[in-house]
Amino acid sequence: MNFIKRAWLNVWAKKGRSVLLILVSSAILMFVLAGLLIRSAAVKATNQAKADVGATVTLSANRQAAFKKMQSSSSSSKSSRPKLSLTPVKLSDASKIAKLSNVKSTNVTSSTAVNASSYDVVSTSSSLGGNSGGPGGMKSSTSSGDTQIDGVTATSLATDFSSKQSKITKGRGITAADKNTNHVVIEKELASQNDLTVGDTVTVKESSGDKAKVKMTIVGIYKASSTSSSSAGPMSTDPSNTMYTSYTLANTFKGSKYAGTADSVTFNVRNPAKVGSLKTAGKKLINTSKYSLSTDDSSYQTVKASMNSVEGFANKIVWLVAIAGTIILALIVILMIRERRFEIGVLLSLGEARWKIIAQFFTEMLMVIVVAVAIAGAGGKFVGDQLGSQLVAQSTTTQTTSTSASGQPGGGGQPGGNGTRGGGPGNTGSTSKQATKKTDLDISVSAVNLAELGGFGLAITFLSIMIASGGILRLEPKKVLIS
Amino acid sequence: MLKTTDLGYWYQDKQQPLFEGINLEFEAGQSYAIIGHSGTGKTTFLSLIAGLDRPKAGEISLDGKSLSKIGLTTYRRHDVSIVFQAYNLFTYMSPLNNLMTAMAITAAEHAGDRDYAQKILEDLGIGADLINRNVQRLSGGQQQRVAIARTMACDANLVVADEPTGNLDEDNTKEVIAQFQRIAHDQHKCVIIVTHEPNVADQCDHQYRLENKQFTAVS
Repeated sequence: MNFIKRAWLNVWAKKGRSVLLILVSSAILMFVLAGLLIRSAAVKATNQAKADVGATVTLSANRQAAFKKMQSSSSSSKSSRPKLSLTPVKLSDASKIAKLSNVKSTNVTSSTAVNASSYDVVSTSSSLGGNSGGPGGMKSSTSSGDTQIDGVTATSLATDFSSKQSKITKGRGITAADKNTNHVVIEKELASQNDLTVGDTVTVKESSGDKAKVKMTIVGIYKASSTSSSSAGPMSTDPSNTMYTSYTLANTFKGSKYAGTADSVTFNVRNPAKVGSLKTAGKKLINTSKYSLSTDDSSYQTVKASMNSVEGFANKIVWLVAIAGTIILALIVILMIRERRFEIGVLLSLGEARWKIIAQFFTEMLMVIVVAVAIAGAGGKFVGDQLGSQLVAQSTTTQTTSTSASGQPGGGGQPGGNGTRGGGPGNTGSTSKQATKKTDLDISVSAVNLAELGGFGLAITFLSIMIASGGILRLEPKKVLIS
Repeated sequence: MLKTTDLGYWYQDKQQPLFEGINLEFEAGQSYAIIGHSGTGKTTFLSLIAGLDRPKAGEISLDGKSLSKIGLTTYRRHDVSIVFQAYNLFTYMSPLNNLMTAMAITAAEHAGDRDYAQKILEDLGIGADLINRNVQRLSGGQQQRVAIARTMACDANLVVADEPTGNLDEDNTKEVIAQFQRIAHDQHKCVIIVTHEPNVADQCDHQYRLENKQFTAVS
């Protein structure tokens, strides 16, 4: 093992050269580590996104089938104008799907419209009301109510709240415990206009049936973001006139025949990657001629695409830097070996084995790399932070732009008709915002990263020495020492 | 001890050999000088007997065993020790580490024995104040003495030297040649010196002149 001692003596004696080698190796490894950190952070962020962003499967009336039915009835009977008849979702069907293994939570939605009785609604110039569903994302009522009632299982599961477009500012939101109660959450603007606060009551009048008056207790006040308001166009009520109740109360407003039903039921999926299999399993449990199951994993896909792009780039960084580093180090080692030809010649004249001479150079580089790994470990986080945030910004901008371009109109409204929402939520605004928020990279140096870096350092050193050692293997001591 | 049989060597043209049909014997306990004009092939002959190159014709044997059978690396490690004109020490080491390294590589009997190496150096005038100094900070004469000490520290019975006094002044030359004589006579080793200096050759027990592709003994 004399070659180890020789390696140490050489590294120590030629301090200047060793320091330069350490600096070059540190720079190479710093970029390798930055790539490794970004890659592992991207993987972590993608996994986190699975948990945070999630994906949903929505059970609702099969509009397509109902439309076909309407068309066939219109061709057979020309006396009366055909109507689109949608079958409300049975909660018993929904509970079967809720029992499937990948379902994390369930949100029942039942919307309708009522008329204000004890308060004045918020009026805006664009708040004209209407009789049909508006474009995607807009809230409208098909009955002649001036107040939109959104019945939910819990406000926290409602899209506007989960995407942070609306947030509770006072009191609390609707929870599963509010089932079969008259609790309501109203908008801040409506509350301030009518001087209402948590604990007060409001009375509404049903817009259909016996038009009974119903008194509701305010348990919370929420603030709708200006985005919602600004997105509302003609044919929509002012977002401030939307109240959240339990879906059971919304069903009461709609009439006794709606008990045990919902406009739609949204299932939050535990693992977004398995949303397709959940949909397939769910379809087996329902009557698909009446109901449909649709999936929405666009948020997850946006984050995943963004992170895949970052991860792909990080991978390229790792490999490009590793290859470039190997070439650079190999060239340095080749030059180093050339200037040490006499030393190699003397070693050969003493009868030293060629592999031990190569092992000496490898050991010298190993000593350099160990120090370089430590330096890169300290500096890699900084480089990774800078590079990572730049990449995420670039990647998120690209993803947001592409999503915006493809998803302008909120297509395929789910519930529709029957005094409920016209179109489903458009997936542009809220999704992109969510994705942007979720794709921050948490870059930190772990023991695993350092071990990976050490592995790369070892591989780079080994390859460099192997490339450079061709000269040692060919070297003839006579030519070096005698000539 | 060392014997050459019909030894021959050429570079490109076989018809123009440097030397051919060389039959010589070198004995332990004797010193030999190889002399001759420049370009006659003295150093090439030395590189062959030092195991740094292979002969083109004939063979070299040590104690009756062909070098090709021993293997050149093994031969260089255990049987021969070389001193060069340019010293060829490990420049990043001290004299002591140079000796310790050579002893370790050649698996000498005293490998790892620091005191043994230090004593050899001191015997050659490299005192305690110099043994841990980088060899590049020693004079030419001192460096050549370190190189000779290196051969003494190893157990090889054959010592070959290529113009060992080429870079030395008169006093150092005398001292170095005296050391080689001691190695031959006191340590009972075979010393072969290639030189162009007649005063160096005169100090050796035997002289061979390489001329017209042949060696001739000089009386």
